[in-house]
Amino acid sequence: MMDVIFAKWHVTISLMPFLLQGLLMTFKVSIFAITLGSTLGFVLGLLRTLGYRSLTGIIGLYLHIFRGSPYLVQLYIIYFVLPSLGIEFLNFDSFTAAIISLSLYTSSYVTEITTAAIYAVPKGQEEGARSCGMSKAEALFYVVLPQSLKMMIPPMASIYVVIIKSTAILSVIGISELTRQGEVAILRMPGDIMFVYCLIAVMYFIYCYPVLRFAKWAEGTFGSIGSVQDQES
Amino acid sequence: MNDPIIRIENITKQFGSLKALNGVTNYINRGEVVVIIGPSGSGKSTLLRTLNGLETVSDGKIFIDGVDIVDEKTNINKLRSEVGMVFQHFNLFNHKTALENIVMPQTVVLKRGRKEAEDVAHRLLDKVGIPEKAKSYPNQLSGGQQQRVAIARSLAMHPKIMLFDEATSALDPETVGGVLQLMKDLAMDGMTMAVVTHEMGFAREVADRVIFMDEGQILEESKPEDFFDNPKNSRTITFLSQIL
Ligand SMILES: Nc1ncnc2c1ncn2[C@@H]1O[C@H](COP(=O)(O)OP(=O)(O)OP(=O)(O)O)[C@@H](O)[C@H]1O
Ligand SMILES: [Mg+2]
Repeated sequence: MMDVIFAKWHVTISLMPFLLQGLLMTFKVSIFAITLGSTLGFVLGLLRTLGYRSLTGIIGLYLHIFRGSPYLVQLYIIYFVLPSLGIEFLNFDSFTAAIISLSLYTSSYVTEITTAAIYAVPKGQEEGARSCGMSKAEALFYVVLPQSLKMMIPPMASIYVVIIKSTAILSVIGISELTRQGEVAILRMPGDIMFVYCLIAVMYFIYCYPVLRFAKWAEGTFGSIGSVQDQES
Repeated sequence: MNDPIIRIENITKQFGSLKALNGVTNYINRGEVVVIIGPSGSGKSTLLRTLNGLETVSDGKIFIDGVDIVDEKTNINKLRSEVGMVFQHFNLFNHKTALENIVMPQTVVLKRGRKEAEDVAHRLLDKVGIPEKAKSYPNQLSGGQQQRVAIARSLAMHPKIMLFDEATSALDPETVGGVLQLMKDLAMDGMTMAVVTHEMGFAREVADRVIFMDEGQILEESKPEDFFDNPKNSRTITFLSQIL
């Protein structure tokens, strides 16, 4: 028994630097994608609520394309198909292709969340603001968005976890993220395939779990701002 | 004493094929209190909402203090701050305390300093009778208290005119009186007011003029005593017989 534990410990120690490198890459790619994708998605989601018909249509089409096809296919198109068009600008290296595709994919979810959160604020809130003389933009900025942002936090955190897990797919274009590093490790130690995959799963979990906890915490904290008991009255 | 601060010239408002307003012409004098009554769907809210630009008109003209608000060149936001509006469902900013509800529009729209805005807000909370609720959020206030804050929020903008759209319809019976009293006090102070209400006692007592609307048109208008004791239009008579 002891020698089995010792052997696994040995495998863990010798693979760890290698896997940590993968985790770091996973972390890097996901942070990039989440930041860029959320920014883009937020802007698109906001534009979509402004009521310009053609703009709303274009954004709708964008969403259909990115939400209606598998991420793997999108990744292939961006990495393999676009460069073959012969346009210098579209000749992405694998890291850039990974970031771009994952950001676009993220943005399609964030757009939906943003739009939903803006529409979830009752119409009367905007009318109250407008009747005080605020412009549409001021009403949005001071009254509607502060209320929708709070509602966005929990679903956003869930999307982030989805995105973190999606980075595993990037191994197919040779990004040395966690899954890819694990696969390479298995080539070196084929006898420990089960154990190595378990190690990888645990490492994903270590990254995702705090995000999920944050979502829960945020839901409690931001959700209750309006109902904090008033000490003075 | 004909000194109209609002002039409404033959306005129509079309929602698809429905004419919510169908050729309304009227005026409101400075300091006058006009009460608008009529059956549900007659266009009362729509009329009020066009007066502060929350709703555009399909046709016709509206002048507020001489300014044509239908004209696209008019700064409609500035105008809106001069025409306060109180809603049936209060529409307080849910993420802000009572005090902040009153402070924020002042700092954003009137560019008042924080200190001055807070002084104004405290003074108005005093005036509407709930100084102790400054730090409460809307969901911690009763309907009547929320409506008081909403009135204070409007007053903070120094409006020339106040519009009330069924301001007491969503309140518990025991809080209606207090809010009506507040509106009455405002009228006494000389505020120009257009009030949509089902409170006929208020109309009789406070209104300078009562307007009856149906199907997007003004069918009758007169002083409250004439209106209630001696209505002329057959639909007014029917309506009054149903509610009194
Ligand atoms: N945004 C809108 N879109 C479509 N139709 C509308 C809209 N707003 C109002 N209407 C319609 O216009 C008509 C007048 O509505 P309005 O709200 O002005 O009536 P009201 O006299 O205030 O009625 P109530 O006493 O029920 O409040 C109604 O038939 C209503 O359904
Ligand atoms: Mg109405």
